[in-house]
Amino acid sequence: MLASIVSYGLLYLAPGGPLLALQQQQQGGADRVTADDIARIKARFELDLYVPVRFMRWFVGLPKGSLTIGGQTFFADWEVGCAQEATSLTMLIYPDGREVLVQPGGCINPVTLAELADRRNTNGILFGDFGLSQQILRDRPVGELIESRLPYTLVLMGVSTLLTLLIAIPIGIYSAVRQYSIFDNIATGLAFIGTSLPTFFFGIILIIVFAVYFKDWGLPYLPPGGATANRDYIIPFFGLTEFRIDAGSFTDHILHFIMPCLVLTFVSIAAWSRFIRSSMLEVLRQDYVRTARAKGVRERLVILKHAFRNALIPFITLVASILPTLVAGAAITESVFNWPGLGRLLIDALNRSDYTVALALLYITLVLQLVGYLISDILYTVADPRIRLS
Amino acid sequence: MAAITPKSVALENKPVRSESQWETVLRRFARHRMAMISLFILVIIFGLSIFAPIITPFPRDQIDQSRRFFQPLTINPETGEMHWFGTDHLGRDYYTRLLYAARVSLTVAVTSTLLSTLIGLTLGMLAGYFGGWVDMIISRTLEFVATFPLLVILLILVAVLLDNENLIPIPGFVLNIIMAITSVDRIDNARVIAVVILTIALLFWTGTARLMRGMVLSVREQPFIESSRALGGSNLRIMTRHVFPNAFPPIIVDFTLGLNGILVLESSLSFLGFGIQDPIPTWGNMLNFAQSYAFQHPWMTLVAGLPILLTSLAINYVGDGLRDALDPKMKI
Repeated sequence: MLASIVSYGLLYLAPGGPLLALQQQQQGGADRVTADDIARIKARFELDLYVPVRFMRWFVGLPKGSLTIGGQTFFADWEVGCAQEATSLTMLIYPDGREVLVQPGGCINPVTLAELADRRNTNGILFGDFGLSQQILRDRPVGELIESRLPYTLVLMGVSTLLTLLIAIPIGIYSAVRQYSIFDNIATGLAFIGTSLPTFFFGIILIIVFAVYFKDWGLPYLPPGGATANRDYIIPFFGLTEFRIDAGSFTDHILHFIMPCLVLTFVSIAAWSRFIRSSMLEVLRQDYVRTARAKGVRERLVILKHAFRNALIPFITLVASILPTLVAGAAITESVFNWPGLGRLLIDALNRSDYTVALALLYITLVLQLVGYLISDILYTVADPRIRLS
Repeated sequence: MAAITPKSVALENKPVRSESQWETVLRRFARHRMAMISLFILVIIFGLSIFAPIITPFPRDQIDQSRRFFQPLTINPETGEMHWFGTDHLGRDYYTRLLYAARVSLTVAVTSTLLSTLIGLTLGMLAGYFGGWVDMIISRTLEFVATFPLLVILLILVAVLLDNENLIPIPGFVLNIIMAITSVDRIDNARVIAVVILTIALLFWTGTARLMRGMVLSVREQPFIESSRALGGSNLRIMTRHVFPNAFPPIIVDFTLGLNGILVLESSLSFLGFGIQDPIPTWGNMLNFAQSYAFQHPWMTLVAGLPILLTSLAINYVGDGLRDALDPKMKI
């Protein structure tokens, strides 16, 4: 089990390289001005380096320059890239008088290892240095950008997950215990709508109803998007009184938070309550539940202690799978509501070709995914003593 | 052996109507009221989109500044033409565009689902049937692909692939077919659609493969497989004639769920502004534009969003009906 986790780890490292290369080539292609500009842009995005070297610099931040041991410099002349390629047969004259004939496509302006020392160096994504943002916040560290967005996403995902758990579990249990009752049928119907309803459509409908129409009708309305308002605003309360909301205040935050949270929660409740219902139904049919009932354990205890605890086991996978959705799980909801979280950052980054940011987010997601696997494996052995780590 | 074949003399006079497995499934499916209604709705939606060029009253991209933002059921005062679902921000007829959008969205959804089911079926079958190193390779690939968060990697891949058009060469005849089906008039637009279809299919097959592998693993150990092998059946024959039909029913349900998933996925993609772009209408990018005018013209979102919801609900109900119909333990 652990071995497979490690193999994931090794496997997923590979796509960063070619992906990075592609994206950066395209990035460089966007500005085509003069040969000088091209060389400068290439150097900026390290496009002049050979792919393995570029990947290593992105991934672990090495090589940083020529190797110096005890005042002696080694490998300073190593060619690690090419700044300009020959378009025709070119004669290259070195300072020491050597003359070399370069074929078309060959290199006439090699980048040596020593030159890398003057470049901007990162510590490598493996050690948490995501490099610099190229577009969104020009030349600011990506880490800073992510840090500024992280709290929004954490609050949104955290609260909605908590609410989902609190609501979905009772609904799931009750639907399973009273299968085919009116309650179960209503819950099933709602869950059906919840799983079919695309989050973006649901989000816009909410905006139209609560932000547009409620405002027109003079009802207490909700702000349509963003995390805070720019100006103070007044919310009427059924003609009785009015609330003056200061921009940036706590209430302001809460009011902006309600709708995105509602969308996320509703959609996940639909999925999770179904999941709990089916796994409870499975468990309730088991012999040990019948035994427990036969020996006279109270129904409430049978359900909560004997059945529910066992129904939770498959649920663990689901809970552990939330972790990787932290980055992009709410991407659509965040875009609809203009919520400044990580998901919207990803969309922005892709829209504006800021690939260092996008790759950093992808990398974080993959790490979280692995951590999620690990956690769910550990929780499994805790919850189900029959499973042993081998 | 032929000598001991019993002849059912007694039954010859009053034949017992025996029904095949699929007749049973159909009969059970027909009892599921919501599923039947949904199937009907789906047939209508598919029919409308197929006959879009014939039944739409306006050209798809006809821009007319004099008729912007007509509400649904507006009659154009100048021409007396009816705009059933209104017009958009450029004065294009919404009803016309919705039908053409259905063509694109449904083509993407159906083709991607077919492709990914095909990939998943084949790989799952191979992994389950042969086991050993075949299973090892396929399972590791599957885990590797499944590690990527779908939406994130899809957004990135589509963005990259669309910027580098020649990265995946797509044969011209495929593009021509896509152009014909989706009534897209330019070949580079067809390429965009092809890229979206391919990317989704290449990321979506893991669920099907996993399901198929599990089914094949359980079917493989059954006595009838052993007898077929004893009778000298080749691997190919056993797989196609014995394993496949027995592992197939859950795949049908999986197909409908996948169809719905991909439909919503593609809509999200174009809603976020990636993938297929205006002027090619898809339900997703129409909704994207509608959102910009949500404050002044709220009806636009409803008109653009309801088809997605309706189709998605209908597919889900059909899937539900199929699941019940295919499950022999379920009483209907």
